[in-house]
Amino acid sequence: MQEEESSINKKWRNAYTLVIGTLILLIIFFYFFTKQFA
Amino acid sequence: MSVIDWFVLIITLLAVIAYGVYKSKSEKTLDDYFKSSNSMSWFLILLSIMGTQASAITFLSAPGQAYIDGMRFVQYYFGLPLAMVVLCVTFIPIYHKLKVYTAYEFLEQRFDLKTRALASILFLIQRALSTGISIYAPSIILSSLLGWNIYYTNLVMGGFLIIYTVSGGTKAVTYTQMQQLLIVFVGMFLAGYMVVHMLPPNVSFSDALHVAGKMGKLNVIETKIDVTDSHWWKDKYNIWSGLIGGFFLALSYFGTDQSQVGRYLTAKNTKESRIGLLMNGLVKVPMQFLILMIGSLVFVFYMFYQSPVFFNQKEVEKVLATDYKASFVSLQTKNDSLNSVKQVQTHQLVDAIHQKNELQIRNTQASLKEIDKQTKTIRADAVAIMKKADKTADTNDTNYIFLYFVVQNLPRGLIGLLIAMIFLAAWGSIAAALNSLASTTVIDLYKRMWVKEQTETHYFKASRWFTFGWGLFCIATAMFASKLGSLIEAVNVLGSLFYGTILGVFLVAFYMKKVGGKAVFYAAITTEIFVIAIYISDIISFLWLNVIGCLLVMGFAFLLQRILVKSITK
Repeated sequence: MQEEESSINKKWRNAYTLVIGTLILLIIFFYFFTKQFA
Repeated sequence: MSVIDWFVLIITLLAVIAYGVYKSKSEKTLDDYFKSSNSMSWFLILLSIMGTQASAITFLSAPGQAYIDGMRFVQYYFGLPLAMVVLCVTFIPIYHKLKVYTAYEFLEQRFDLKTRALASILFLIQRALSTGISIYAPSIILSSLLGWNIYYTNLVMGGFLIIYTVSGGTKAVTYTQMQQLLIVFVGMFLAGYMVVHMLPPNVSFSDALHVAGKMGKLNVIETKIDVTDSHWWKDKYNIWSGLIGGFFLALSYFGTDQSQVGRYLTAKNTKESRIGLLMNGLVKVPMQFLILMIGSLVFVFYMFYQSPVFFNQKEVEKVLATDYKASFVSLQTKNDSLNSVKQVQTHQLVDAIHQKNELQIRNTQASLKEIDKQTKTIRADAVAIMKKADKTADTNDTNYIFLYFVVQNLPRGLIGLLIAMIFLAAWGSIAAALNSLASTTVIDLYKRMWVKEQTETHYFKASRWFTFGWGLFCIATAMFASKLGSLIEAVNVLGSLFYGTILGVFLVAFYMKKVGGKAVFYAAITTEIFVIAIYISDIISFLWLNVIGCLLVMGFAFLLQRILVKSITK
């Protein structure tokens, strides 16, 4: 039961990391996008 | 508009209304009406959340904002994905566990009835007023396009969506939002495609981006930081205000604003709510980026073709009918000749880009920026004349730029679809707002405080009446909205006056377990006075008000609780 719960929690942690990671990648992309076309 | 456009517009709108009414057949209880019996999947939650947030204002103003100020507005959404994560960790499990109808129900369980009532009332005030503005936004389109009276247009606009919102409740709102968003995405994609397609044959999409960039319209990121500069604090859109202020705003909007909480409370379970919100965190920033890019491309389009001195043609017609006609026409002539020079120079810039001739690129860029500066001066002069001619003239044409482009340049049929798209985007957010205004009124005030012991049928009927009543109130508010400036900011500023305080109350509830109802209640009232005073003194951009409001409530609540404990101990 505990193992199952910890696996679910791990899945959610991965999902949160994915969202925050995507935001960081987008900001980096936007930074170079702005520089590229300026 | 042509007959085909009218046909497309009317059929699209009628189809959505009919679908909404059809979906409302099985509604009989409060649970059906406000929570759709917890039947929604994450996909519907996602579309509903997006449909609620993305109003007509988003699709009207954002491209115009990019045309005037470039794409830096996208930074406003940077805090949103972070807020989605915090919501999934803290807010959603509690709301689902307590099986609440509204976010404010939780406040009574944690604090007391008066704190719940205060948060509900603050929400009702700001949501009702901002919904009035959301009705007004598409009404400008109709009145400007068809010469209809703006007040009658507001009536028609608000009336149609009330039909399915009253009859169908949350279920009808969610299902129609799905249809609406799909049509909106198709419309925006076609508009974006058409802008690029209508550029001169030798100008590619990549060339258009280079031209936009050279004119400072692809300024997505602004990293400058200078806390000692008062202008920096007033700068609305930079990465810092976006990440910090945007985070607090998004947390408050999605976590404590019933128009959003009511969407994800309809989910089957916690998992579906979380996935819906996280997906929103993933897609919102890129979506806003693309919408703004359309605005930048429209700017490039008008570097190759004639642009008017002022985009709101109704106001232009008004000034041309006064004694100021001659001076205004003279400005129009100046603008036209500048446009001709600009067109030649822009072609030269594209040639230089093709040849990778850096020197010529820099020279032409400098020259085009000078022309752009002169154009802005002419626009400012035109606005001054319009103000002289009529003190009540609407001198902000940001919301008209995209619409003007659509009506003047897009093919028949597509104009109708894009007008329908703007209506549907408006309806999606207005319908969700009316539904949330009714749920808060019935659950937090009517059923809890005014009429306590009644049957389920009574409350169900009352919910419909309150939805109808709020619809009428919002239409009345829309009648007074005509004198506001850029609508997108008006709505956001209104929210920011209250959002920080409400979020502060919720964060105290979640994270400061020792603080009681009395302390948080007075902390919230004191904070609201401070926030309004700061806003009036105009020393800081509205996005920071969310941060200040939230932190002040937490700080005051902490201090008050300590004082209260000490006085009891003594």
